[in-house]
Amino acid sequence: MLNNGGRRSARVGAMWGHVRDAVRRQWPLLLCILILILVFSAAAPDTFPTLLNVQAISFQIPEVGLLSLGVMLTMVAAGIDLSVVAMADLSGLAAAQFLHAFGFTAGGPDSFEMTAVAVIIALAVGTACGTLNGLLIARVGVTPILATLATASVFSGAALVWTGGYSVVSLPGSLRALGSPIALGVPVPIIVFAVAVVGVAVLLNSTTLGFQIGLVGANSAASRFAGIRLTRVLVATYATSGLLAGLAGVMIIARSGSATPDYGQSYVLLAIVIVVLGGVDLAGGYGSVAGVTLATICLAVVQEGFITLHLSQFLYQVAQGLILAGVVGVRLIPSRDLRHRLHRAVAVTRLAAGEVEPADRDAPVPKSEPRRPGA
Amino acid sequence: MPEALRLDSITKRFGGVEALRDVSFELRDGSVGCLVGENGSGKSTLIKIATGALSPDSGSITVAGHSYDRLSPREAISQGIDVIYQDLSLFPNLTVAENIALASHVREGRRVFDGRGSRRVASSLLEQLGVPVSPDDLVGNLGPAERQATAICRALSQEARLLFMDEPTASLTWREVERLFSIVREVRARGVAICFVSHKLDEVLDISDRVTVLRNGQVVAAGPCAEFDRGTLAQAMTGRSGWAERPPRPLEEALPALEVRELSLAGVFEHVSLDVRKGEVVGVAGLLGSGAAELVGVVFGCPPASTGEIRVAGRRRSIRSPIDAMRAGIGYVPNDRLRDGLFLRHSIATNIVSANIGAVSGFAGRLRRGMMRAHGVRAIESLHIAARSPDALAGELSGGNQQKVVLARWLLRRPALLVLNGPTIGVDVGAKEEIHNLLADLSKQGVSIMMASDDVPELVATCHRVFVLRKGRLVAQMTGSECTQEKLQAEMIA
Amino acid sequence: MKATQPYSRRVVSRLLTIGQSNEFVLVLVIVVLCLLVGLAERNFWNLGTAFDIARNSLETVVFALAFLVVLLVGGIDVSFDAIGIFSGYTAAWIAVSGYYDSDIILAFVLAGLIGLGLGAVNAVIVDRLRLPVLIATLATRSVFVGVLLTYIGAFWYNFLPGQLGDFHYWQVIRVPVGRGSTSLHPLVIPVLVLAVVLWLVLSRTMFGRGLYAVGGDAEAARRAGFPVRRLVFMALCLAGLLAGLGGMVHVSLGGNADPYELVGSELTPIAAVVLGGASIFGGKGTVLGTVLGAVLISLINYSMVSLGVPAAWTQVIVGLFILIAIASQLMRGRRRARSLLAIPSGA
Repeated sequence: MLNNGGRRSARVGAMWGHVRDAVRRQWPLLLCILILILVFSAAAPDTFPTLLNVQAISFQIPEVGLLSLGVMLTMVAAGIDLSVVAMADLSGLAAAQFLHAFGFTAGGPDSFEMTAVAVIIALAVGTACGTLNGLLIARVGVTPILATLATASVFSGAALVWTGGYSVVSLPGSLRALGSPIALGVPVPIIVFAVAVVGVAVLLNSTTLGFQIGLVGANSAASRFAGIRLTRVLVATYATSGLLAGLAGVMIIARSGSATPDYGQSYVLLAIVIVVLGGVDLAGGYGSVAGVTLATICLAVVQEGFITLHLSQFLYQVAQGLILAGVVGVRLIPSRDLRHRLHRAVAVTRLAAGEVEPADRDAPVPKSEPRRPGA
Repeated sequence: MPEALRLDSITKRFGGVEALRDVSFELRDGSVGCLVGENGSGKSTLIKIATGALSPDSGSITVAGHSYDRLSPREAISQGIDVIYQDLSLFPNLTVAENIALASHVREGRRVFDGRGSRRVASSLLEQLGVPVSPDDLVGNLGPAERQATAICRALSQEARLLFMDEPTASLTWREVERLFSIVREVRARGVAICFVSHKLDEVLDISDRVTVLRNGQVVAAGPCAEFDRGTLAQAMTGRSGWAERPPRPLEEALPALEVRELSLAGVFEHVSLDVRKGEVVGVAGLLGSGAAELVGVVFGCPPASTGEIRVAGRRRSIRSPIDAMRAGIGYVPNDRLRDGLFLRHSIATNIVSANIGAVSGFAGRLRRGMMRAHGVRAIESLHIAARSPDALAGELSGGNQQKVVLARWLLRRPALLVLNGPTIGVDVGAKEEIHNLLADLSKQGVSIMMASDDVPELVATCHRVFVLRKGRLVAQMTGSECTQEKLQAEMIA
Repeated sequence: MKATQPYSRRVVSRLLTIGQSNEFVLVLVIVVLCLLVGLAERNFWNLGTAFDIARNSLETVVFALAFLVVLLVGGIDVSFDAIGIFSGYTAAWIAVSGYYDSDIILAFVLAGLIGLGLGAVNAVIVDRLRLPVLIATLATRSVFVGVLLTYIGAFWYNFLPGQLGDFHYWQVIRVPVGRGSTSLHPLVIPVLVLAVVLWLVLSRTMFGRGLYAVGGDAEAARRAGFPVRRLVFMALCLAGLLAGLGGMVHVSLGGNADPYELVGSELTPIAAVVLGGASIFGGKGTVLGTVLGAVLISLINYSMVSLGVPAAWTQVIVGLFILIAIASQLMRGRRRARSLLAIPSGA
């Protein structure tokens, strides 16, 4: 008979086991990161593997990482969110305008409470935008790609209108503190990101909402028949993506000290690259937080390596593309294997019945799940 | 009438399983030959061999006097052999004329698409067969019967001399079947040899000139249609002399679990009133288009009724969505199990709890996976699902086991009323009986069951009462001994 | 049950079909918008406006057609703007480096060929690695931009030599307006010709019909004998060619070559295609619709400017337009679907 303490430690043990498994499943990415670190360290042994560099990398990770987590959630729900950057910009802008409206600027009066309120405002704006996305998709029925493409335009347009195209500069120190290192030498953004990673992981794997998101993404018709509230689940998904975008917005303005209405346009595709790299099932229903986290780290390592080696940043773009094609190509084979295994298993039972012909490479997987767009 | 196609002693193995053993089959010009058999009897394999999609392990194929060991798809096509699969292989985004003409354009290696010529050809074919469809209509906007007709025109435009049709009436209403048959007779009159694959006995007896019955990969009976009747056909198909009519125990008066009054769904059915007593198995009989399948869907709120009232256990409930129905204690096993009923890429355990997530939710929405697995294990045991573990993927199971998983999912909720739409479609014979037994057990435990079906023997064997719908109206109610196969059949078709 | 109906009824039903079609709605919207803007701004109704709008929509039209071609087979190609700027900039750079006399036709041919090559890269990746088009073009997009900026150059050429530099001044029709005159840029003609040719290819050739077939049902296309893989391959190559031409349209009309431009403005051509009635799932879409969609967006932009609306609002308005367009398409689709469900009485 296990006593309470024993049971608790057993549960903790089980949790660690899960984390270990999740990370282990991402072996192509881990390998990639390892190889990259080794290569860069060998090429620049004095400058690359230093603490300073690690800190530099860790500044880039949180912003993109938060956005990628949001995109991942929507892709698990068999959708996509192309408006994450626009939402981040708008949220950051809202926080910055709030502070300025009350006269809180760099070099002027400063207040921790006001900054906290500004952050909350940013999160609220992001969540509101995400909710709008969710309603458009779940209620009106617009397909996610087009809906978020359109709202991206609306949100960033709204940001542009609000500032007339200018950036809102000189933000107070307490906000900027969010973007800088604290006592342990670990930058606050990393802590924020880590918390978000844990949060999203818990949401997706251990809560009923996350469970439902996966089901809705896998087969929305069957979900409806199982009594799952599609609208609620989808709105929650996109609202969470908005929340994460809002958080990213805060991180961005904290780091740079100003809010630019159309910052980071290229982050959208980068986020999608990261999510796909992170092993999301393009048909919906499955995604790995560990994968997305590792993919973010991987690409940040690449970028930092390029900077250290004084390689052209544009070459970094090339590398992005090559990594994407490479890793997805490799992984796509195992997942096609899974599809073939499934198809074969279904076929074997039908083979005996004489209804299906044996392993035809081009034979379609039985049209069982409703067709999904986007690819 | 000369022979158009003859298959002699065809044998085909897949792995260690014999799909076809020593099968001989012939088709004559200007006649309709029916290939009859249950799911899994080898019909599809035979078609694939005859059309060159598969090659036999032994035996010979004789077409137009030439004998082949195996046929290649190209040779089959050049001999005028064409096949219309169940999914029709049409392009919903293109017009009727384009659908009819494209394949032959491809075959002839043409570079330019002759729009005008295609429309002319299509028009003339459609007119000859009496199909009221314009060649400019988009196939996606057509109903199933008209699509079927388009597929036939496509075959004709390629001068098919032998046409295989695989279960063409699967999604047709009774009237559409009649129209299809008149087209088939037209085609037959042109001298084309037609092979009609089906397991619907009445249609087989109606349209065929010659019948070949397959069971477990072997020919068990073959001959002119006149030599068969419903009983002998059924016996040949299933190997059982008549359907074991297990007379279910009649029920004493009990509380109505479900009452439906003046229920209607615009354009589908109207003024339907019926009731289901506690622990009763009620059948809603009707052919496709009669409104039977839609009626049970309406009870589950999918789609919600236009007018009328639904009372569950005496209380009036507004059922506008699946969630309302589930709250009222109703469960639903849908028609298309693969598309609407299961999450194929997820485990059995996941599928089983998917309708009752509350049962595995813990503090603050935490998901209790251990409990999920436990439910899965319990379901596998109690329903005898043939799976290694609850982590096996639902997509890897056979049809019968998949249906059991869907049932298990609802049983987890302990519904007062279980509604099923075509419970044993696509389920093999053995599993069919298991499912019937399961339903009988459930009814003994007090669960009320409402079942929509067009399978007459199934209805007679399992139901205490049967309501018959025809063309959207309730036309008959039969109880106990007065519900015989002949009478039920008669009421359904009339 | 005759299939042939009297001529008059056929005409009426044909008119009805056209009336319900997406293209007609677009024309209606354009006319209404013109009327509205014309009311607010007196100077609107002159030929100069039409010429300007036509000129401004050229680039969008070509890129939108590139996107359309791949969308028809069910793929989403996000690399078209990268291919465009790569081809346009490279062709310009070659001219600047003096490798050829900057004849404008040669410039276009060169850009087209480069685009074709890049499109072929896409095609090979999709075909060999069996990647979804979206993923593959996501990857190639970064690669193209990266290679362009690293190896070919990151300079902004303010002035281009010879014909290339003058091109944006050319005129084909000159119309006196008030005290000055306005002109139509000659590029309108080749672009129109291109659109017409593409329309012919899509509707009259087996290649074009094959694209629609694959987009409608790839498995049925395979069974009917269409070379599905080859069709997708060629679609991607064709899209690359068109994108390359689009890039050169951009460079030549702008009179300068900025390698940082274009990438990031994918929305406009995609919006044009979607407004034009194409389905994001493939199998549906027309050249006419796409062209009308591009013209509509140009018109919106122009109206914003002439009404004095700040440029920032344009984005918002375009976004809203897309949403409204999609929603109305959905509503029309739903209406049709509902009428299919109801079984007609007495059938």
